[in-house]
Amino acid sequence: MPTTLNNSDFFKTLLNIMKINYLVVLLSLVAWPSLLQAQDSDIAIGQPVPEITLPNPQGDTLTLSSYKGKVVLIDFWASWCAPCVAEQDELAALYKTYKKEGFEIYGVSLDSKKASWLNMIQKKKITWPQVSDLKYWSSPVAKAYNLHELPFNLLIDQEGNVIAKNLHGKALAEKISEIIK
Amino acid sequence: MHAKYLNLFAVILLFGIGATLLASFTFQEKEPWTPEQLLSPESLAATLNDPQAKQPIVICIGPAAPIKNSIDMGATKEKENLDKLKKQLKNTPKDAAIVLYCGCCPFAKCPNIRPAFSLLNQMKFENHKLLDIPENIKANWIDQGYPVNE
Repeated sequence: MPTTLNNSDFFKTLLNIMKINYLVVLLSLVAWPSLLQAQDSDIAIGQPVPEITLPNPQGDTLTLSSYKGKVVLIDFWASWCAPCVAEQDELAALYKTYKKEGFEIYGVSLDSKKASWLNMIQKKKITWPQVSDLKYWSSPVAKAYNLHELPFNLLIDQEGNVIAKNLHGKALAEKISEIIK
Repeated sequence: MHAKYLNLFAVILLFGIGATLLASFTFQEKEPWTPEQLLSPESLAATLNDPQAKQPIVICIGPAAPIKNSIDMGATKEKENLDKLKKQLKNTPKDAAIVLYCGCCPFAKCPNIRPAFSLLNQMKFENHKLLDIPENIKANWIDQGYPVNE
């Protein structure tokens, strides 16, 4: 039996190969960032978060529980963490959109140098509450929240229970939009 | 066109595209260090813990300088800190053992290691290494119980 193919068969095969490769690329692009960002803390969804009582840049104590009644994003970051700094513009946009709807951001910095912390707050024009004990990874907060890498965040409800963990970019915006209607 | 030639062509094409994709995900832009210039945390910790061992000059080019006896240079993504590093090493013998480390984040995202390591290359150092920190200084050094500055 002759085994010949015309040009149409050839291009169909080629198209199928391209489809497979396209799928491989697409799946890789979807899976890769989530693998890189994979981090978990011991605090489960629905559980209350540990209290945080730390000084703000002016030296006044600011407790996390004082924001009860609001949906709060606890943003663990540092001026030395490039991805954290890059994310601040997106957080600013969310803050601007939802602040009046009862949304707050509570920034917890793992900086060790006050000047670096304050300079970055100023540079990124951060207007939401910021706290730090300037103890870097030795901060008791890092231990209480079982932090292993930055950036990391927790979204908590009006009662201080975890709604979502470590969401970034579009996923974070969608979650906040879903909660604050 | 014969089917066997088409199949052969398809296999070669698929292999070629697959290999290109794999290569693009595996190999990043050429780094200023060679694989031999990466030093494992275990190895540095063993040296620091051995009072008989000849100690390298350990320089932190990122945040906080947590490794014991390391010199805090500040983040070398900033030009002023890069200049500081240059000044610090100005009179250091070219064959001195130097270890640079950052650990703010994984290598791919770190803005400090490339400028600093390139500077040491330009300064013609011959025995400089980069501490191999795949995740961050917390996971790969502090949590391992390796020596830290108090």
